[in-house]
Formats: sequence, structure tokens, C-alpha cells
Amino acid sequence: MILNLDGTKPIYVQISEWLENEILNGNVESEQKIYSQYQLAEIFNINPATAAKGLNILADEQILMKKRGLGMFVTSNAKEMILTKRKNQTLKRLVQEIVLEAGRLQVSKEELIDMIKTADIGEEEQ
Amino acid sequence: MSLTSVRLTDVVKKQYLYKMKAYSQVFMSLIFIQLLAVLFSMNGVGGMGSSDGNMQIEIKYFSAVLVVVFTMLWGFITAIIITTKAYRNDDFVFVTNRTSSNLSNIVFLLTASIIGGITSMLSTYLIKVIVYYFFSDVSLKSTSVLAAPNEFFLGSFSTSLYIFLFCALGYLFGTLVQINKAFAVLIPAAFFGGLIIDGLRGNEGVIAKGFNFFFMEPSLTVFIIKVIVTAGLLISGTFALSNRMEVRS
Amino acid sequence: MTVIECRGLTKVYGGAKALNNLSCKIEENKITGLIGRNGAGKTTLLKIIAGYLKETSGELNVFSENPFNNLLVSANVIFIHDQMNLPTSLNLKEILDTAASFYEKWDHDLANRLLEYFSLNPLQHHNGLSKGMKSTFNAILGLAARVPLTLFDEPTSGMDAAVRKDFYRALLKDYLAHPRTIIISSHHLNEIEDLLEDILLMKDGKELLHLPVADLKEWAIGLQGKTSVINEWTRNKEVIYTKSIGLDQSYVAVRNDFSEVEWQKARVAGLELTPVTSSDLCVYLTSKTKGGIDDVFN
Repeated sequence: MILNLDGTKPIYVQISEWLENEILNGNVESEQKIYSQYQLAEIFNINPATAAKGLNILADEQILMKKRGLGMFVTSNAKEMILTKRKNQTLKRLVQEIVLEAGRLQVSKEELIDMIKTADIGEEEQ
Repeated sequence: MSLTSVRLTDVVKKQYLYKMKAYSQVFMSLIFIQLLAVLFSMNGVGGMGSSDGNMQIEIKYFSAVLVVVFTMLWGFITAIIITTKAYRNDDFVFVTNRTSSNLSNIVFLLTASIIGGITSMLSTYLIKVIVYYFFSDVSLKSTSVLAAPNEFFLGSFSTSLYIFLFCALGYLFGTLVQINKAFAVLIPAAFFGGLIIDGLRGNEGVIAKGFNFFFMEPSLTVFIIKVIVTAGLLISGTFALSNRMEVRS
Repeated sequence: MTVIECRGLTKVYGGAKALNNLSCKIEENKITGLIGRNGAGKTTLLKIIAGYLKETSGELNVFSENPFNNLLVSANVIFIHDQMNLPTSLNLKEILDTAASFYEKWDHDLANRLLEYFSLNPLQHHNGLSKGMKSTFNAILGLAARVPLTLFDEPTSGMDAAVRKDFYRALLKDYLAHPRTIIISSHHLNEIEDLLEDILLMKDGKELLHLPVADLKEWAIGLQGKTSVINEWTRNKEVIYTKSIGLDQSYVAVRNDFSEVEWQKARVAGLELTPVTSSDLCVYLTSKTKGGIDDVFN
């Protein structure tokens, strides 16, 4: 992944999202050690403090846990936590934006729901 | 964080070695100037001639005095050059403070003076050789270093001291000019002005007395003391002046 | 540990105050970006830290000592700038050898490898190099010296885009392997901001902001929408930039002290919220007027 450096999203947030993706797609399993701040700095060409901030977000959310002197490890239920979080935050925010845009375009809620339903049909179930 | 601790003497030593490499052009100019002086010396420093109808006698004296004078001037100019911005700021690229920079400059000038002194003395032999081949009826005073080693070492030593005296003078002058460009005009004006006034008065003025003070000293020990004390004063003056100088480019 | 600490630092240059009562602290082993417009006092500050200049008043300590005429500071600091006075009689290899003799932790192997990578001929003389190559060579000196405090003043001036990128990467890699305190001054914040941990923004010889880069990105927020709505929303806010777009639209950048709820409300009110990039923010904060160049033409 190449970071989006144009400033729309802080880099440390992008780092934590990248780490979440690594956990979701199984590149780093539960209970395994995750990248160190220095490895991340090297991979993404960023300051290690920024990388540490990305790691700490996940540690605060208990997706990662610190083991003194050993580094950070993926917690056992990391995957579920990431999924729930994304549902609650990312999806919610996207929905809100859709509703706002619909408002601007004078699309009624019913119409919008219909649109979502039709959009669903084309997609595969996850 | 572990800081590197340094000793002044180490830094001075490193700077000295650095300067011997970086300022190598100085020695090229020494060779050039001394050869030029040797060439001029071929005219002789003094002489007399007399003619008696069909016979003509011409006597010429040759000596390396011109080489020594040129080398003293070279020392003076070299010392000025190393106080200019281009040289002075060289130190600040690497590890330095003003004291170490001055000290290494002085050691460098001392080295230059010694080299200048020795080569000046050696040039007398060069002059002798040239004179021997190009002029007739030559009377040579001692012919080799080995024949009169004392004379050679003593000559080199005192010549070096003279050159160093001029270096110290140039170093102070150069530093003054760096502090204020007006000195570049003021000091020569004062010097030549003094000479002219002396000349007009027709008596021995301060400048002539100053020259005699060093150049007419019969005792070697007193001469050494005079030079060392004077050079010391000049150099400490420079230290005091330059210790607050900023590095500006 | 604090590496640099200054209090009320003032430097007068020919009547003008290049530094005006500057106070700041630089912590150990951080990469700090020194950002500001031309004439903000960046170079003057670096020169005082390096011991080149003496402060007019105030106090400055580097490794707890005043750097002017200080051998300890000189041995532990290297100052890389585009007017470095390297002896004209030495070639690049000889300069590196000399540097090696002065700096205890000098990495000669790294210096030689970088020289080769950047295709610099070791037998060439420094004054024969082009501007960009000079900068590259100076930057190599700065990296290989590995001193506890490295100061880079506009290190990439004249370098082409590829070399700049390589230099920043080299800097980061060497920093990761050998953490040390580094200060980089630059006009191009967007080029270096990912590398930085902290940013020190200067204006008129003073510290304007000093904070982690990550916080800088959230320091301000851009609002775009109907001018009337904008005016209402920004009534009690610290506005740092305004620009009108079209007839009744405006863009303003304000200090970001909005709560999550306020954000939502603003969105609902029809405002578009966008982050302000660090480099834009720095431009806004350091410009004389809130409208920038447009004010000249109004």
C-alpha cells in the first residue's frame, strides 16, 4: 500500500487502518507479533513516532496488546473487534453522507432505501 | 545520548594536519617567490667597479638577502590570506572553536616560517652554484651545508624567526581587516605616512627604530627573546580580537 | 532529555531583529522540522545553535552549554547548509577523510557508498560541483558524521526530485538505525512532513507553533459553504484564512476546536468540512493578512 499523503487522512490513522487490514486478511494472525514502529517507519518512509501513534490507536482499542520488552501482539478477538468497529463507525459515517447527499438532491428516504436495496442485489454476500 | 568529549590539543592537531593539506597552495607560492628572488639576486646586492684606461674591474656581491626579504613578505601575505573569510570559515565546517582555530593557524604559520627559513638558507647555495657557473673569478664563502653546519642552522633559525615575526604581524593585520575593512586602508596609510614623515624630518623615526630594534640586534639570545615576545604580543592581540568574531558567509 | 533550550533568544542583525525573544525546547532523538517563510529567522537560529553567531540577548543552551566558542558543542553538532566553505584545494575524497578525522562516530563506509550511489566523483573538487551535487555532497557529510545533533538548513536546494527522495529515505534509514536529534529547515513542508516528529513553525523571529506533526494536521479545519452560514459558524472561532468563492460561497480555515457533535451539525447545516494540509496551514499562519495575496488586489 502506498500512503495517501495529500492530507485528507492523518498518516497514523492510515497506518492503523493498514494494520487492521493486515489482521483482517490474515497476514498477521491472532496472538502473533505485529510490526514494530521501526519496521513500519521503514516500510512507509515515515517517522517512527507517527508509526507508534498508529500502533497505539489499536492498542487503546485493545486490538493490539503491549508485552513489555517484546513489542505489540494481536489480541485473540482482534478480527471481530475490527469488524464491529468498522460497522459502527465507518459504515455509519458513510450512511450519514449518503443521507446528506440525498437531501441535497431531494431524494426521499423511501427512494434512498430502494436504491440501497437494488444496489445490494448486484453484490455478493460476504 | 553519549557526547563525544574532545581535548583542545587533539582538535588543534587535527586542524593543523587538515590545514597542511588544505593550504598546500601556500607552499607552491613560496617556491615561486623564492625562485623569483634568486633570479633578482643575480644582479648582485652590491658592487663596485673601477677602470684604469685599458683595464676594467667590476666587483659584485651576491647574497640571499633578497630571498629572505621576499620570504618575509610571503609570510606576511600568507598570514593575511589565512585570516580571510574563505580560509577562516574552513575550520567551522568541522570541529572547532576560535581558540583552536587560531592555535592551529599559528602552528601552521610557524611551520611555514621554518620551511621558509630553511629554503631561504638553501637558496644561498643555489645562488652560489649559479654564480659559480655564470661568473668568472668567484670567491665563495663556505660551499656546503656540511662544511659549516652551524652557520646553516643558525641562519635558518634566525631567518625563520624573522619570517614568523612578519607572519604574526600579517595575522594581526588580517584579523583587524576582517573586523573592520577600514583597517585595510588605515594601517598601510599609517605605515607609509610614518615613513614619509620620517623622511621629511630627516631623522630616525619610529618605523626605522622598529626595524633596527630587530634587525640590528647583535646578540642572538636577545634577538630570540625580542622576536618571541613581540610575536607573542601580536598573537595574543589577535586571539583577543577574534574570540568574539562571528562566522558569516 | 532536552538537547536545545532557548529562552528569550534575540539576535539583532544590522538593526533588524532576526530572532525576537524566541523560546523553545528541542527534545533528544527527535526529527524536528524548522518551518517558516524567508526571513523568519530559521537560518539565524541554526547558526546560533551551531556556534557560528553569538546571541544578542537571551539564553541558549545546547547540551546544557552555550554553543558559542564551545568545543564540546562543536564536536557534537554538524551544520549542513548551502554555503558551506569547503577547502577548494581538497577533492571530495580528501574532504571525507578529513571529516573522518574530526568526527568520532563518522561512518566512512556509508559516506563512500553514498558518494558512489549519487555518482559523485571522489577526485572532483567541491567548488567544481553543480549546486545540486554540492547539496548532495554536503548532505552526505551530515549523514555520515552521525553526531548527536545534526542541523540541515535547506539541505535539498538544487537537488532534483529523485535525489531529494533518496536523501530523505537515506536520512530516515540512518536515523532508524542510529537515532539522533535532527533539525531540518525547509520551505517544502509537504516533502518532509512524513519524516518529522515535531514541527517548529517560526514567524518574524518567534516561535509560532511547536507541536507533533500529527497534531498539526488536526490543528485547523477548512469550512466551505454559504458565506452567511460560514460567518455564523465562525463567529467565536479563530479564523486563520478566508477566501470567497463565487458569489455567496466562502472557504475559511479555522482553529479546530470543534467537538464531534459540532462537526455533525456543521455538516447538516450544509458546510463542507475538509482537513487543512500542514503546508497550507503553515502558509496561512505565516502570511501577513488573512486573505493572502488576494488582499493586495482587493
